[in-house]
Amino acid sequence: MTESLLAVRGLSKHFVSGNETVPVIEKLTFTLGQGQSLALVGRSGSGKSTLLNLLCGLESPDAGTIVMQGQVFEAGSAATREKAAAWADLRRQQIGVVFQEANLMPALTLLENVRFRAQLAGRDPANSEDWLTRLDIGELAQRYPDQVSGGQRQRAALAMVFSMEPALILADEPTGSLDRQTAAEVTQVLFDLQARYRCGLILATHDAELAAGCQQLLDLGHMSAV
Amino acid sequence: MKVLMSLLPSLPALPIPRALLSHYRRHPLQLLALATMIVLATMLWTGVNHLTSQARASLDQSEQAVAERQQVVRDDGQALMVEDFVSLRLVGVCVMPWLEVTPASGNRIIGIDPLAAHCFGAGAARGGDQPLDGKPFVDMSTAASAGEAHLYLLTPDSTQDSDLPAAYHLKTFATGPETGELGDSFLLNLEALGVLVLLITALLLRSVYLLGLAQRRDSFALLHRFGVSPGQVQRWLVLEIIALALICVVPGVGLGRWLAAGLGGGFGQALDGLFDIPLYAGQGQGWITPVLVMLTVVVIACLGDLLLLRFRERLSLSVPNQGRLATALFLAGLVMAWLAPSLPWVFVAVALVFAGAAWLTPTAVTGFANWRAGQSKAPLARWRYRELAVLARRLTLPLVALQFALAMVLAIQALVTTFEDTFDRWLGQRLEAAYYIEVPAGADSRKAVDWLTGHQASNPGMQWHQVIRGSTRMADKAAASRQQVDVYALAPISTLITGWGLLEAEDHPWETLAGNKGVMINEQLARRQTLGAGDTLQLVLDGQTRDMRILGVYPDYGRPVGEVLMNAEALPENFIARSESFSITPGELGITSVTDGLKRLWGVETLSMRDNSTIRELATGVFDQTFALTRAMTVLTLILAASALLMMGWVFFTTRAWYFRLLVVWGMSQRQVAGQLLRLALALTGGIALLALPLGIWLTWVLVHRINPLAFGWSLPMAVYPTFWLELGALSLAIGVSIAALMRRQLGKPSVARVSASALTGGER
Repeated sequence: MTESLLAVRGLSKHFVSGNETVPVIEKLTFTLGQGQSLALVGRSGSGKSTLLNLLCGLESPDAGTIVMQGQVFEAGSAATREKAAAWADLRRQQIGVVFQEANLMPALTLLENVRFRAQLAGRDPANSEDWLTRLDIGELAQRYPDQVSGGQRQRAALAMVFSMEPALILADEPTGSLDRQTAAEVTQVLFDLQARYRCGLILATHDAELAAGCQQLLDLGHMSAV
Repeated sequence: MKVLMSLLPSLPALPIPRALLSHYRRHPLQLLALATMIVLATMLWTGVNHLTSQARASLDQSEQAVAERQQVVRDDGQALMVEDFVSLRLVGVCVMPWLEVTPASGNRIIGIDPLAAHCFGAGAARGGDQPLDGKPFVDMSTAASAGEAHLYLLTPDSTQDSDLPAAYHLKTFATGPETGELGDSFLLNLEALGVLVLLITALLLRSVYLLGLAQRRDSFALLHRFGVSPGQVQRWLVLEIIALALICVVPGVGLGRWLAAGLGGGFGQALDGLFDIPLYAGQGQGWITPVLVMLTVVVIACLGDLLLLRFRERLSLSVPNQGRLATALFLAGLVMAWLAPSLPWVFVAVALVFAGAAWLTPTAVTGFANWRAGQSKAPLARWRYRELAVLARRLTLPLVALQFALAMVLAIQALVTTFEDTFDRWLGQRLEAAYYIEVPAGADSRKAVDWLTGHQASNPGMQWHQVIRGSTRMADKAAASRQQVDVYALAPISTLITGWGLLEAEDHPWETLAGNKGVMINEQLARRQTLGAGDTLQLVLDGQTRDMRILGVYPDYGRPVGEVLMNAEALPENFIARSESFSITPGELGITSVTDGLKRLWGVETLSMRDNSTIRELATGVFDQTFALTRAMTVLTLILAASALLMMGWVFFTTRAWYFRLLVVWGMSQRQVAGQLLRLALALTGGIALLALPLGIWLTWVLVHRINPLAFGWSLPMAVYPTFWLELGALSLAIGVSIAALMRRQLGKPSVARVSASALTGGER
């Protein structure tokens, strides 16, 4: 039995558009163990990105509970400063987020970006260069993000995430802007590292092949966990 | 703006302009910002320009009105009567009666007879063509009935003493103090301010326009892919900006004139009050010139790149070469300003220094920020410095405009404050006593000296001295260099004069002057002859050359003639005085007792007397108003520059906001990110204020020590005002806080937007 990293119970979120209330996520329940991976699939607008935002505290749910590493976040109670601070601590030290692109600070070199993220998380930045090397971009350490390719930028983003030794990685279409070959390489690196360092991974994607690499699948279009 | 937008539906057959303008339909605020900037820039420059031309015209008129004229007086010193006017006209002398009446209830009024002024010709226009329907000029009969009157008979400059019948002679006639070159100097500086305002507004216009262009780049690329040539796009852009300029410049000029009229009204009233004549010139320039100037500025500022494209290609320089060229321009400007032999060269030098500064400032901020980033161990500090470098590069134009505006405000503030101070001292020098009483022709001034000396003993508050004015020549071993100088002789050397500030002096100069052991000279003479305290001046008095030790040099505030201040005891008996007068502060004795006593002593019915305190009050009013206007205009320029930076900062941040939100994603709180934003914005505006400081001080130095002496031959004292630096620094920080507050609003928007390649711009380093 895998120890639970994340537990989601009865999670709901809706948006208001004009006079209309649009439900995005309704009564969602699932759990994720340490070292496990979960693919979020579903058509555009089905709530994949919204769910990722909820799972790292960037948005607040309308109902339900999120338990992350023993910390309980319940909807409905006032969005207190303490709750926001607790989420911020988790994001800084435990949750690594990878977006489709623009994961790097453009004014910092790749190496400075990795160091920056590690130091923010309170980790030793001395390994930053190693991380870049492990991701095959060690020779690009002094380049700026706009001086490398999209695939290299995503590798650097992964280096940043792993340098902070996260418990959970939230990846939102991490290969969405890459060509097939590069996407496959980046995906392979992501899964390898996730398995080696036993961190949880929740991956939002349209790519069925990518989704198939995860241990669990959550189709938000049909609200079912497989 | 609506006019431009309304063009859209009517352009079906013109797909290119329709496509170009469609950007503004999607982003109307951008068009509004550009239009507003053109209107405000036009308003500001037109306001300054209009005000300057109004002030110049007003001061020209005032100078004419108070300039010395000739009057006919009786040899026996008695008051003129109507019979005198009749007898003079009968022998063919052109005279115009000027009846001054000061009613118990109010201001002085002047009665004149326009019919009698015809023989003056053009010269009569000074007063003769004023409508006689209100104060201060009224018909003679009205003035005569208003109270006790004093009649003057003015005569044209062409009249000679020999034209007059026996028992009359000519004398100068003046109605107030001569503002002279002090006013001209101030106006020259005001015009320099106008040029700077034009430069700043051009920079701001360019920054807003280029921002709009950057955001339309995708549309241009698409048009290019559809087969539209860049030349076609450029031609439509030229038409677009000309149309926009035409729509916005005209109301801008109107607003500028309205602004100048609103502010300048007070100036006019103050002038009227000072000289008792409706002097305010009212409307300055017409509409055509400002409209054409601003149209040109808008087109050049916005499309200068297109016009100079080939030139730029030929001149394309690498970044290090650009830096070297900027440094060379900057240094060349500094040296040229120091050595320039004439005004045009000084202006070229100022242009070079500003061009160099405009180029160097962003480089300096970027270089400093990158250096600090390299030095910083803390990751956040390193990131912040790198972001500062990006901001400095992206916001170059509005930042440079803000720097120029700050430097200009700093220089103008120092200049205006120095002018105010100088003007106070100028008034103090010329109106040192409460009253100025002329010695009537034929009267014995020595009787008055004895009388005043006697009364001073029993009235300790009384101060007075006798003033004898005339002229003599300087002597030099080389006869060719002889030249005329004015003599300003005083006795006794009273406390009315010993408070004068001296530019340079020996020890105890006033005591030595009182002991008749030397003279003082004015700044003009000192500069012209390269003389100073301790040197010897050779004067020709009574046909003999006398060596006189120079005890000190006093400021003359623009008086173009060399002048020697001496003890009247040094004058020979046969010295021909041009005028004699007494400067008197009567103390407890009261001016009435003094005038009654002097009238009795000299056997005259009236005295020519000037109430210096009233003149001082009015003159101060005029200049206070002008100084206040100048300050208001410079502050408006600063506000415009700050608004532009605010707007540009906000727009730029819109494209950069993602990276700040990334900090939130990485676990920083909104408050912490807002704190970083604040530090970033403060570093930017604070840094610009720091860089503006030396430029402002240098500009002050140029205005005071280079432009003024070259234009007028005299120099204001150079003063700096650190308290004002602090105020300006605080203002810059306030601008930074405003930018940070605007940026923070963007951070507060709903969480993290979904990012796609097309949605992200501003990702440069």
